[in-house]
Amino acid sequence: MDGLERELSEALARRPAPPSLKHKVMERRSRERAQRRQQRMEWFERLAASLVLAGVAGGAVIGHYAVERRKGEEAKQQVFTALRIANHALEQMNAQLKQQDRNLR
Amino acid sequence: MAASWQPDFEQLVDEHQSMVFSLALHITGDRGLAEEIAQDVFLELDRHLAKIASPDHACFWLRRVAMNRSADALRRRRVRGIGLWVEMDENHGAQREERSSPLASRVEQLLATLPEAQRAALVLRYQEDLTPEEIAATLGAPLATVKSHLQRGLKLLRAKAECQLKEYIRGV
Repeated sequence: MDGLERELSEALARRPAPPSLKHKVMERRSRERAQRRQQRMEWFERLAASLVLAGVAGGAVIGHYAVERRKGEEAKQQVFTALRIANHALEQMNAQLKQQDRNLR
Repeated sequence: MAASWQPDFEQLVDEHQSMVFSLALHITGDRGLAEEIAQDVFLELDRHLAKIASPDHACFWLRRVAMNRSADALRRRRVRGIGLWVEMDENHGAQREERSSPLASRVEQLLATLPEAQRAALVLRYQEDLTPEEIAATLGAPLATVKSHLQRGLKLLRAKAECQLKEYIRGV
């Protein structure tokens, strides 16, 4: 190591940090941590709200489909009833026609 | 053993605040900015504390982040058109009193005129006493590049010192 390098080592020796540095770091750290905690809480709140909203929307959709299905079933039953009535009427008519036919012979 | 090491943030600040602050100070030349950088570096350490595996890793990590942050700060200042080292006389009035040799102060001023990459290599070499391999790892640069920065930096510094320090020594 020559003279210049020795001077360089001396010039670049570590300096003591300002006395307030640690205090400022710890203060900013606790502030940042509180902020992060709050952000995490807000995130959870948003997530919970989204889940509730998704649940409500999903329930509404499922409810709507259930109502539609029930209405469909009712309509189907009505059609079957109507068909049964029509069938019954046709059978009666058929029996009457057969009776008339027999009377004519 | 490394797995069982539990980093204590406050202790790490105590141990390394002088190193981090000095690196930032020697790279930027601005005491206020160096303090800000040191704060940012330690806060970043706090965010990455879980990833720090050992005391050596903490030291390496702090050096690396301090150098990167200081370079970023210089870049930002350059974009804004502020020459940090130009203001060194005003900012370092108190610093110079702390120093043992006025010659060292002149050397530091000369160092400030070197290109940023050379200055970074020299600061790590002479402040932290790192080997070129360690400097390369810290700066994330090839070893050959670091060796070249060290050689050229020293050569340039020597040339400048020959012109300026001779006059200074004659004056003293």
